[in-house]
Amino acid sequence: MPLAWRRVIAIPVAGLVLGLAWNAWSGRGLALAGNAFVREGDAIEEIEVQEARARMEKGALVLDARPRDFYDMSHVPGALPLPEDDFDRAFASIEDRLRSHFDIIVYCSGYGCEASHIVARKLAGQRIRAAVLHEGWPAWTDAGYPVKEGPQP
Amino acid sequence: MTWLRHPLLHRAAAIGLGAVFLYASLQKIAQPADFARIVYHYQVIGPSARLGYVPANVLAVALPWTEAVAGLLLIAGVWRREAAAVVSLLLVTFLVAVGSALYRGIDIENCGCFTVEGAGRQAGLWLLVGDAALLAVGIFLAAAPTRANPMRVETPEGALTAPLGHE
Repeated sequence: MPLAWRRVIAIPVAGLVLGLAWNAWSGRGLALAGNAFVREGDAIEEIEVQEARARMEKGALVLDARPRDFYDMSHVPGALPLPEDDFDRAFASIEDRLRSHFDIIVYCSGYGCEASHIVARKLAGQRIRAAVLHEGWPAWTDAGYPVKEGPQP
Repeated sequence: MTWLRHPLLHRAAAIGLGAVFLYASLQKIAQPADFARIVYHYQVIGPSARLGYVPANVLAVALPWTEAVAGLLLIAGVWRREAAAVVSLLLVTFLVAVGSALYRGIDIENCGCFTVEGAGRQAGLWLLVGDAALLAVGIFLAAAPTRANPMRVETPEGALTAPLGHE
């Protein structure tokens, strides 16, 4: 007996309809066009790469939230490493510089990467405001901006 | 191998598979934003510059409910083969997503299988093995109708008649 394909299609369609209804009316839903890495209560500014470059030229401090190995391979020139997976130690070593800058930008590996939002949130917890570079490192390299290799900023 | 077509085996397998999927859906339904973040980590359906955030968010909203509906149908024994087919398709999708993440070297701390908070279960090779085992059960249930009651035969009209004692 062959499968009833209409039923096979009906099941995910029911899942979609129930899901959208739940999302709209349960009070637990998410904004369908929004970025779920930005959590409720976050006051994190997201900026595009051109804006980030312009702010850097005016002296903004850039932070690399990726694991340290990635930073050592290649990073935004002048950026300091503040890896999300080693936040406390890295933060302690650059805290003075962070507190002396009013314009701070954090980036990580792009769309699938949450580290820049986590670091910006942790910095906010230390009363340090930081913006997140939208689409992160790939946006920087796709724009053709210079990169720096090695462990030095 | 007639035992493989025993109705009770199919019923038990369907309840087991359905329970796994129903359980898997609960926390994702309760915390859609947490599940959406896990979907993002896979980088299969976005978000990306081309796709934006909508496809990944809609998937994060619809997938848990599809798991729940298919799981409930399997447990109830309603539309059992079709629900098993849906579960099998979902498992194929999971295998592709996890496999491609492993291939691209994306480190996914929490596969988003049963929990959406904290570390959870790593998306690794063992997850592929587990998904493949569930997929085998799903395909088995979707493909093989149970053996017809040996005391009855189906006539072309679909009416049931008793063959025994029939001349």
